Amino acid sequence: MRPLSLAAGVQAPAAASLKGVQMRYYATAGRKQIVAEIEGGENHRYVVTIDGQRYELDWAQIRPGAASMMIGERSHSLHHEEEGDEISVYLRSQPFLVDVASEQRFRLRRLTSKFEIEGRQVVAAPMPGKVIRVMVALGDEVREGQGLVVVEAMKMENELKSPKAGKIVELPAQEGATVEKNARLAVVE
Amino acid sequence: MGQKIRKVLVANRGEIAVRVMRTCRELGISTVAVFSEADRLALHVRAADEAYCVGPAPSRESYLAQDRIIDAAKRSKADAIHPGYGFLSENSSFVRACDKAGLTFIGPPASAMEAMGEKTRARAHMARANVPLVPGSTEPLPSVEAARAYAEKIGYPVMLKAAGGGGGKGMRRLNSAQELESGWRAAKSESLNAFGNDAIYIEKLIERPRHVEIQVFADSHGTCIHLNERECSAQRRHQKVIEETPSPIVDARLRQAMGQVAVKAAKAVRYLGAGTVEFLVDAQRNFYFLEMNTRLQVEHPITEWVTGLDLVAWQVKVAEGMKLPLDRPISPRGHAIEARIYAEDPARGFLPSPGRIKQLCASAGHFVRDDSGVYEGYTVTSHYDPMISKLSAWAPSRPEAIARLACALDQYVVTGLTTNIPYLRSILRHPAFAAGAYDTGLLEREHAALLGMASEAPPLPAVMAAFVVAHQRDQQRAGASRRFDGVCAPSPWRQVSRRRRPRP
Repeated sequence: MRPLSLAAGVQAPAAASLKGVQMRYYATAGRKQIVAEIEGGENHRYVVTIDGQRYELDWAQIRPGAASMMIGERSHSLHHEEEGDEISVYLRSQPFLVDVASEQRFRLRRLTSKFEIEGRQVVAAPMPGKVIRVMVALGDEVREGQGLVVVEAMKMENELKSPKAGKIVELPAQEGATVEKNARLAVVE
Repeated sequence: MGQKIRKVLVANRGEIAVRVMRTCRELGISTVAVFSEADRLALHVRAADEAYCVGPAPSRESYLAQDRIIDAAKRSKADAIHPGYGFLSENSSFVRACDKAGLTFIGPPASAMEAMGEKTRARAHMARANVPLVPGSTEPLPSVEAARAYAEKIGYPVMLKAAGGGGGKGMRRLNSAQELESGWRAAKSESLNAFGNDAIYIEKLIERPRHVEIQVFADSHGTCIHLNERECSAQRRHQKVIEETPSPIVDARLRQAMGQVAVKAAKAVRYLGAGTVEFLVDAQRNFYFLEMNTRLQVEHPITEWVTGLDLVAWQVKVAEGMKLPLDRPISPRGHAIEARIYAEDPARGFLPSPGRIKQLCASAGHFVRDDSGVYEGYTVTSHYDPMISKLSAWAPSRPEAIARLACALDQYVVTGLTTNIPYLRSILRHPAFAAGAYDTGLLEREHAALLGMASEAPPLPAVMAAFVVAHQRDQQRAGASRRFDGVCAPSPWRQVSRRRRPRP
């Protein structure tokens, strides 16, 4: 007689082997928010629970940044890079940016985010290049969307606009200067 | 000319320098690279037998510095220079400098370059050779009044074009006389900025044209043949993105007609080596001469796929004075298609995204070719064109070739910077492209749709993988605390202090 199958599909066959830490995570993927409980165990096995659905994952790290992930019997070859709280997951060549935070970090971010929206806004260089025009002066009142600085890179001009209405309180950008990526060009308050 | 070439200096960088060196190696020819101070770690330096630094990062002080490149050729005792595409490849004064220094320039003579270099001069040459031209002025127009009179004569819509130009700069579409004055001013100033020459001429606008070009090859013994067409209508801002051959709209008869005209055009300027005659094709399949590119094209691999030839090897042999091994066209075998992979972000106006390539897994597989100019760990700089690679595929039929390239793009993983791979994938999936019914306006008209297709929400496996990576990261950061705290997650405050403390 065949032994009784405990569960079909992807459910963990031997939950006892998973002794580890259970943590709750919040992910923002596109416009959706997904909450998951994740329990990590031995032999690279994980149980992820999303909306009451349990998935068993077998994770094999091929090398830093590259893994083979099996969800049940489904095989996924993927690459990943961490960028702060965001994680880029490449399913084949298609990148997906997922913002993942543990429960504590998620709460902390909700508390601090209010201040960031209203506070000082730094306009930074999106890429290395040369400042070819500064269109405002220190102390100027600017509208939201008003062009502040033009940076040229790879023969392309990029006009950087004010993210909010306010006053220019810092203006490190100088015409003709070469700037690195993320260099501060102007601060609007 | 007429001597065996033993050592070639490649006056270029990136994938084309690497590709030229590969053939040289196969031919038993030594290779010399030149590089700027920003390119010490570039792939073409590693691919060459010798390498000479020719100046600082800006191109005009290094890759465009003729004296320094000629000097490097002399120091390395190279006997020939291959210019690749771009940079000095269509600069006739450089060809003359090579001649003067006793170096073989692997390309056409300066005279042919000059005849085709300036657009109105090229049009005049072509008109004399009875090559069909888009109706327009053969001379630059002296004034806005002259432009108005000419536009009235050929009828709106018209295009204003820079005589010294290319690449879409200094071009303006005018739908009516009201737009003339501002369009004229804009085209003039753009053209002056881009090419140092504000001469403008007018052409009749061809609605929804296709861009089809013919590869030609000429030797020094009077033989000139064509090697079929390439369809390059998948363009954005006049920059080719995907190319294929044969063209979905070219049949054997049209191929023969266009091929004959292209050969006539090349012969009219006493061409030598590899060249490309570009045509616009209208909805009724009338074709008009656009321009001639007097160099090896970026998209030459697809011609190599369907002809089985090595065009760089032919360039070298023709420069050595050999006769072409063929005197008639070759029918294309199967179908080839190429996509240009760039470090750029289509969602942000194709803004270049230089940076370090953290991981690179190039595609392999049968009938897939990767002409790459980078490697894992390489930093794409903001000084030069951000092309990473040209990925091409061959198959017996067009649908199979598209499917093969699509799979190859799916497998091509570049992490650490943004690439246009998902965008390229979307083009291949677009119904108009799949049907072969596209013109040079497709990518612009369908821009939003193509971006939408490329930026779908993460599927569940991606989200799950992100959870695992985040979990592993937090476990690692928590380190010892996990052992003491059991099921409790680590405190974020502790994580912060832990990160600040130097590791033992």
